[in-house]
Amino acid sequence: MKYSVLAALVLLAVSALFALARQFQMLQQNSYFPSRYFGWLKENFCAQAIAEAVLAAGICVLAWAAPLYLAVGAAFLLGFRIARAFSQQKKSIKKLAVTARIKRLYAAAAVLYAVIIAAAVLPWIGKNVFLTIGVLLTCLVPGTALLCRTLMAPVENAIAHWYVNDAKRILRERPDLLVIGVTGSYGKTSVKFILSRILSEKYNVLATPGSFNTPMGVVRTVREHLLPQTQVFICEMGAKNVGDIQEICEIAHPKIGIITSVGAQHLETFRTVDAVFKTKFELADEVLKNGGEVFVNGDSEELFSRIDASRYTVYGLREDADCRVRNLQTGKDGSSFLLCRDGLELPLSTKLLGKHNTVNIAGAAALALKLGVKPDDIRYAVASLKPTEHRLELKPYLNGSVMIDDAYNANPEGCLEAVRVLASFEGLRKVIITPGLIELGEREYECNYRLGQAAGEACDVIILVGKNRSKPLAEGVRSTAFPEENLHIVSGFREAVGIYAGMADAATAVLLENDLPDNYLY
Amino acid sequence: MKTNLAVFFGCRSVEHEVSIISAVQAMRAINREKYEVIPVYVTKSGEMVTGEELLKIENYRDLPALLKAARPVTVVRENGGVYMKEQSGGVFSRKKAVRLDLAFPVVHGTNCEDGTMAGYFEFLGLPYIGCDILSAAVGMDKAVFKDVLKSAGLPVLDCVTFRAREYLTDRKGITAKITEKIGFPLIIKPINLGSSVGISKVETAAELDSAITLAASFAEDILAEHAVSALREINCSVLGDADDCTASVCEEPFMHDKILSYADKYTSGSKGGSKGMASLSRQIPADLPEEKAEEIRRLSCEIFKAIGANGVVRIDYLLDTETGKVYANEINTIPGSLAFYLWEATGLKYTDMIDRLAELAFKRERARENLTFTIDTNILSGVSFGTKGAKGSKI
Repeated sequence: MKYSVLAALVLLAVSALFALARQFQMLQQNSYFPSRYFGWLKENFCAQAIAEAVLAAGICVLAWAAPLYLAVGAAFLLGFRIARAFSQQKKSIKKLAVTARIKRLYAAAAVLYAVIIAAAVLPWIGKNVFLTIGVLLTCLVPGTALLCRTLMAPVENAIAHWYVNDAKRILRERPDLLVIGVTGSYGKTSVKFILSRILSEKYNVLATPGSFNTPMGVVRTVREHLLPQTQVFICEMGAKNVGDIQEICEIAHPKIGIITSVGAQHLETFRTVDAVFKTKFELADEVLKNGGEVFVNGDSEELFSRIDASRYTVYGLREDADCRVRNLQTGKDGSSFLLCRDGLELPLSTKLLGKHNTVNIAGAAALALKLGVKPDDIRYAVASLKPTEHRLELKPYLNGSVMIDDAYNANPEGCLEAVRVLASFEGLRKVIITPGLIELGEREYECNYRLGQAAGEACDVIILVGKNRSKPLAEGVRSTAFPEENLHIVSGFREAVGIYAGMADAATAVLLENDLPDNYLY
Repeated sequence: MKTNLAVFFGCRSVEHEVSIISAVQAMRAINREKYEVIPVYVTKSGEMVTGEELLKIENYRDLPALLKAARPVTVVRENGGVYMKEQSGGVFSRKKAVRLDLAFPVVHGTNCEDGTMAGYFEFLGLPYIGCDILSAAVGMDKAVFKDVLKSAGLPVLDCVTFRAREYLTDRKGITAKITEKIGFPLIIKPINLGSSVGISKVETAAELDSAITLAASFAEDILAEHAVSALREINCSVLGDADDCTASVCEEPFMHDKILSYADKYTSGSKGGSKGMASLSRQIPADLPEEKAEEIRRLSCEIFKAIGANGVVRIDYLLDTETGKVYANEINTIPGSLAFYLWEATGLKYTDMIDRLAELAFKRERARENLTFTIDTNILSGVSFGTKGAKGSKI
């Protein structure tokens, strides 16, 4: 009997290891945050979790009542779980990545099962308790996944700590490296790209890639991408809580800073715009402490109204800016303007659309001038800037029409700017296709209503995607004098494209705004 | 954190030994605080080896012993970087991989200096010092070089080019063409070899045949051009890139023979010629009127830009002392000893010159990164969903 129980437990444990693949995959894709993982469980796992719990209870009863049949049940379960694990991974778009951390989690799970099996089969008192625990753990895999994650937390923290220290060591060994910190509620990614392009006229530049703007993102960039010949490291700093920027500063110690804006972003954690301001200016505190220069966007009202401008280099359209954008002309082919800084008047032109981008360029150019990049090289670099994918990207579209692809824009200010860009396309029929904004909490209704209003004033045709979702947008549109027959509300993106295809010609421009499916192009 | 600088030298070239001398000199000059020097010696059979022992010129006297001590390596692209891997050992030995940050080709002649080496680095995606494929290839081919300069309005001597095979079948015709178009005295050169190998001066028609036969043993294509009788040879080096380049002081190498031969260039110094181009008897700066020197320096920068060169090159001129005219004769896209002696005479230390070369290489790399954009998504994975009226891309 003892052997049959042992065999059953081993089979159960092995089957659980296969079942864990799915759980670890989801834990990984939720950045190992138990709360986010719970969210996934709640949405996707309810029915299955109940089924597994029933199964667990059944097997427990079986284990107590008829241990001999337990092994047979376990063998069936193993077969089922192996098959399911493979089919799940095969079907997944983003599969489980077998990283070192996943291997450690698996090791933890294996050790956990081994200990419990040993305890259950050894002739100790209360072995039925261990038997029950063993059966429960092997059946309730989400619980096991969380338990492993919790058990490994101290180890993972120690490893993360080691990585942070290693990155600090690498940076300490490079006193010649110039670190530039870029932060802001919005615009920081654009400024990072623009700055990186302009500075590459003179320096070997490394910038944190994509959305690597957390402390661990910076650590990874330093450890994996910093080359011996790198001269300038541009470090994008993101924040969701007070102290986040300070934490990155303690790793990177920037000597120059650029703060692109302060706005009502991440208010669910920051609560007030003052807290956002305080957090963004942790970068300024660090840079000024290091004796460096901080560049701030004077056109961001929430920012400029809170600072003592004499301490910073202010850039933007405002008259009193230290680095000022003048004679701005914007249109379908981009913008041209005069950059004025310390008596230098540099005519610049860019293919990037939107007024805000000229301000972003002004900030980056002011910084580049400080670092000795020649004005002519700045002109060349600015002229050759390309838009980031899906961010106010101008493309040819159906029937010779043009499209402003702004599909990745999720910030309310940016969306309004996109509508203004569309409005500046003189002589063309203006169409917008958008499902509106999401994940804005309390402000969601207001932001969508305003977007609807702006669209109603600027566009000739409006196509809203999602019948329920777009209600606040439609209300915004209807608050203007927009003709009802030109407002289309459709249920899916395909339908929207269908309507657009019927009217598109060479004299049409369409703005695709926010949150559209990946394959929306054709 | 030092930049891993891989110095490639040797190669399957007639100037193999010259390259060793140039490379050992360069490796001695590299700033060790900034760069980790990784010698990569390409043997005459084209295999790559590395090792500390390659840093000393004495060790090259006993080549079999040196090759036994050095470790065979391969260069591969992996995980977004370029690595040099040791091939050594049995099943259980762990292969040591070194990440390469920058390649420094110090090679002379065909199969390397002619753009082959540049192409190898381009293929690997490894930043490298010096001319790119096209400028190196143009620089190596004497006839194409002349054509490019001629179309840019720069002074070169007229020439007649022909295939060695053609000469064999139509000796009379080609002799007549050369005599008529060029006249005696003239120079016969194999196209695409540097270092004066296979070059001879022909005073009379009787000498022509043996000169062509000699040249034909080095190359399939042969060039005949007018020999300037009252001749001074003047060389000038250029450092930089197409945006910004400067010319060094001029030098005048002294000829023992009628023209500077391979023996002159590389074996005339003491100690068996191990000092390379740097030890040849010459005058630096060349004894020229200031405006002539300035003219040559200006021409040098124009030629450098005309072929789109990068790094350091040496341009050799023929100065007709009777007419005072200067003709660009050839360009060395990787000059012997990297022409460092000309730069030291101009006030730039060899160590700093190599630093500048590395900067130029990284600058070119940055410019390329800024121009190329990759499409991350796999276009082949995008299949359409066939919207009514929309342009489908069904596969």
